Order: sequence, then structure tokens, then C-alpha cells
Amino acid sequence: MKLKSKLFSAILSATLVATLLLSSAAEAKKLKVITTLTDLAALTQEVGGDKVDVEALAKGYQDSHFVEPKPSFLLKLRNTDLLILVGLELEIGWLPPLITQSGNGKIQPGGQGYLDASQFAEILEIPQGNVTRAEGDVHPMGNPHYWLDPDNGRRIAKGIAAKLSAMDPGDQAYFQQREQDFEKRLAEADKKWMAQMAPYRGRKVVTYHRSWPNFAKHFGLDVIGYIEPRPGIPPTPSHTIELVGLMKREGVKIELIEPYFDLKTPNSIASMVGGKVVVLMPSVGGKPEITDYFKLFDYDIALLTKAFEETK
Amino acid sequence: MEILQFLILPFLASLILTGIHAYLGVHVVERGVIFVDLALAQIAALGATTAILIGMDPHGTSAYWMSLGFTFVGAGIFTFVRSRQKRIPLEAFIGITYAVASAAAIIAMSKATGETEHLKDMLVGNILAVSKHDVIKTALLYGAIGLFHFIFRKKFLAISLSHNSAEPQPEINVRLWDFLFYASFGFVVTSSVAIAGVLLVFCYLVVPSVGAMLFADRIGTRLAIGWTMGTLVSALGCYCSVFFDTPTGATIVCTFGAVLVVMAGVKAVFFRVKQEEPQPVEVRTRQVV
Repeated sequence: MKLKSKLFSAILSATLVATLLLSSAAEAKKLKVITTLTDLAALTQEVGGDKVDVEALAKGYQDSHFVEPKPSFLLKLRNTDLLILVGLELEIGWLPPLITQSGNGKIQPGGQGYLDASQFAEILEIPQGNVTRAEGDVHPMGNPHYWLDPDNGRRIAKGIAAKLSAMDPGDQAYFQQREQDFEKRLAEADKKWMAQMAPYRGRKVVTYHRSWPNFAKHFGLDVIGYIEPRPGIPPTPSHTIELVGLMKREGVKIELIEPYFDLKTPNSIASMVGGKVVVLMPSVGGKPEITDYFKLFDYDIALLTKAFEETK
Repeated sequence: MEILQFLILPFLASLILTGIHAYLGVHVVERGVIFVDLALAQIAALGATTAILIGMDPHGTSAYWMSLGFTFVGAGIFTFVRSRQKRIPLEAFIGITYAVASAAAIIAMSKATGETEHLKDMLVGNILAVSKHDVIKTALLYGAIGLFHFIFRKKFLAISLSHNSAEPQPEINVRLWDFLFYASFGFVVTSSVAIAGVLLVFCYLVVPSVGAMLFADRIGTRLAIGWTMGTLVSALGCYCSVFFDTPTGATIVCTFGAVLVVMAGVKAVFFRVKQEEPQPVEVRTRQVV
């Protein structure tokens, strides 16, 4: 066992030294950016181009509420110049202790290198008035799944561009130019997406989790119910029966769900109402082919329009 | 070696866990109540859920006392059941308690409003993210409990070792010491689970003790082997976690399993001859340190 651990330590130190040497030589000037989700990394990449080194902690197919921390997370957080997070308590289950433990003063909440992207976005479902816990589910600061609206993508990119410019003033023109280019391409793509979705505007759907309000608002879908009785709580019999009744009355055929939720209840609901379960990707990287922010919507909209077509 | 400094706190925490759990594990294995920590942890979680349900802050002191209170109730149940029902194995009651407490927590969660992700946190604490404050607090707490057990070690060991024999222990108030054992045990488990998670705590409790029993009978020797094993596995597990970049807690658990297999192999290969010799005096098994 002793020998084994010595061997490990030898290999480990060799790898570490090599990586450190390589990285310090090649990327002397690049801003290091860590994001919690792949979507924020994709947006940062659009704006930052080759002046930034950006990496996401979570994988695109993971449930962003629960991410199992690994030692490399701490190392990444320690060495980063900027941390961009979704905020609105989405990452509250795993991120705060990692930020503290990273020992990186820059990225502590309120610090220079701490950027909560929710400040740029349009946030839905912000509880009105007194937030009583009796309301159930509510994320007290509003729904954190806001990146699934291209308009918010544009706003976030703008915010990130401003932040990068502030941290690296020399490249300000570069970031602004890239941001404008992104905005243009996004506007074009959005025109295409809107056209694809146009025949289905106003269609009613149910979703598993409350992940799609921004998406639904942008593309004119009407979310009339949720398969979860409360966020994080598996479906209960009475809630499911109620939902099936509602879907039958309203003629709702489409259920939207993320890849990490259990499909049993959605499938049985689908067979009861003669509908269809559509597994949409909530984040970039959820499938290997979803390599950027544009492909995320390409993918989801292709699935969605096909499902609408099939359940006419 | 930058990354190693992140592992100092998790490693210290795992040493503290080794210290108290390898000792308590000897009791638990002797008593044959292997899953008692899972049951008590689940009861503590139920306490935390209840605290949230009645509107307490899940990270606040009152929620902590609530889950501790529930743990003590659980300790009371195990004490009571043991002294009443001799024919039904205690493990059966522990299993029932575990199942009911888990299910009750699920029901309570479904009625609780929001914040359920905190509960998941509480059940699967993450040793990688342990803070300096946690390490110091836990060290002091476990030090005190360890001292308590050291002072009264004769009483605790006498009860644990005679657990399955029906002979009464006239000089000891069995029920009182039983309760004190489960209560202090619950105290430790509740705190440990909050920093390391259920799986890891279970391993620290049971694996060193079982590994030691492969090689020794005397309590003192078993403790020494258990502590050594716990320390080595902690170090190796932390290392593998960095090397393969895997979640630290789960990696330590698997390392425990692997090391136990190696130990069993070593025993089979090298210690076979010894076993064929007539066992020295059986009395030694029951010797108290």
C-alpha cells in the first residue's frame, strides 16, 4: 500500500508540474473564467473569444441543483480570475462551501471576480409581496432557469462583455466587437426559431420541473401544469390524477422534461392522455452535438416542433 | 502540489472520524447492531425535516437541537427495546426504525415548503467542502465524547461484550449505560453525517472494526489495527480522489472496500497456518482493556 501511494504521488506530482509549466508558459495573458453551468461558459466563449480561458464546473447533462463536487473544482476555483454563476440560489446546494474553501479572495461573493449573471436577465416568477414558505416550491428570488430565453442570452452576453472589459481594459474593443457580432447572429437565429415555432404559438404544455418559464414565454407556449407537485418532490398519485384530468380537459399532449428526471410517471401520463414526452436539453453540452448556445435552441426546437407535429 | 492543500481539511476531518468511529465501531460490531448508525442518522434527518416543516432555519441552532432531540428519542427506543424484547433481534427493530424514519422524512418533505435541497445536503454532507470551523468544532466535540467513553470504558465495554449473553450485570445499571451509549453515539453520528454523509460515516464505523477482527481478538489490538487502517485508507482515499478527480467521499468508501479485500487476501495467504494451531485461551476475547 505504501509503495502504491508513493507511485501515485510520483505520477501525480509529475502531472501537476507539467500542467503548471505548460499553462503558465502558454497562457500568460488570458483571463481565466470559471462558470457553474455550460450555458454561461458558452456565452462567455462567444464574447471572450481567444482572450479568455473558460470552463464550466457542471456538465450539460447534470442536474444543476445537485452537482457532486470534485477536488478539481477547488483547484479551478482557486486559480480563476472570474467566477460566473446563475445565482437565484440555483447552486446553493453545492457552490457556497466550494467558494469559501477555494481560498480565492477575488471570487468571494461581492468580490471583483464574482459575477452573478441573474442581474442581467429578465427573471420570472419572482414571488410578490411577502414570501411565505406556505406558497411551496418558490425559489425566493425568482426562477433561476432564465438562460433558456434567447433574449436573456443576449442580455447576459452583454453583461459578461462589460465585466470582461472592466477586468481587461486593453481588450475592451475586442469584447465589444465580439458581443455585437454575437448579438447579430443571435437575432438571425432567433428569427429562424420564431418562424419554426410560429405554427405552435399558444399551445398548452405541461413540464416536469419549473425549468421552462422563460423558454415558454419567448416562444409563446402556455405551461398549464407541472408533473412535480413541488420542486424536488416526486409525483404523488393525487397530483398525477389531477394533472391527467387537466390535460384531458385542455387537450394538452406535450410534456417537457429534463434528461435527469425519472420518466416513469411522465410516460404513464402520456399513455393516459395519448400524448408525448419530450426530453429537452436544458443546457449546452447535454448532448455531444450541442456545442454552443445556438445549437441548444436548434436541438430543443427541432424536437419540440416534431412532437407538436406528431400530436396534432 | 497546490491541490494537496485542499485536501488537508478533508484529511484532518477523516482522521477525526477515524478516531471516534473506529472505537465506536468495536462496540457496534460486538453488539451486532451494524446498521444502528444509519437508523440514527435517518432519525436525525427526520428531526431536521420536522424543524424545517415548522418553519425553523435548516442551518440554525434550533434545527440542530431538534435533530439531536430526535436522535435521543431514537437512543431511548433502542435502549427500551433491548431490555424488553430478548427474543427478537435488535437489528430487526433498527431496520424498522430506519425504514419508518426514512419514509416519514419523505412525507414531511412533501409537506415542507421549499428548501428541500438543504435536506439532501444534510443527508449527504460533503467531506471535500468541510470548513476549518467544522473541523475544530468536531475535534472538540468528539474529544469530549471520547474522554467520556475513556473514563467509563469498563462499563461501556462490559455491556457491549456481554450484549448477547443473557446474564444480568448486577453491578451495572444496564439500561442507563445502554442509553448513554446510544445517546453519545447518536450525538457523534448526527454531527459526522452532516460533514461526511451517511455512506462515509457507515464505513468509518464498521470497516476498520471488521478489518481488525480478521487479525486480532483483543480489544486493544483491534483498536490499534482499526485506527491504523482508518488513517491509511483516509490518506489513500484522498489521494485517489485527487488522482482520478472523483468525488472525495465516495472514493474513500470504495478505498475502504478495496483495502478490506486486500486485508482478507493477506489473511488468507499468510495467516492460514496460524489458524490451524489450537486457539490460545478463549478468555482473551472477553478481556477488557
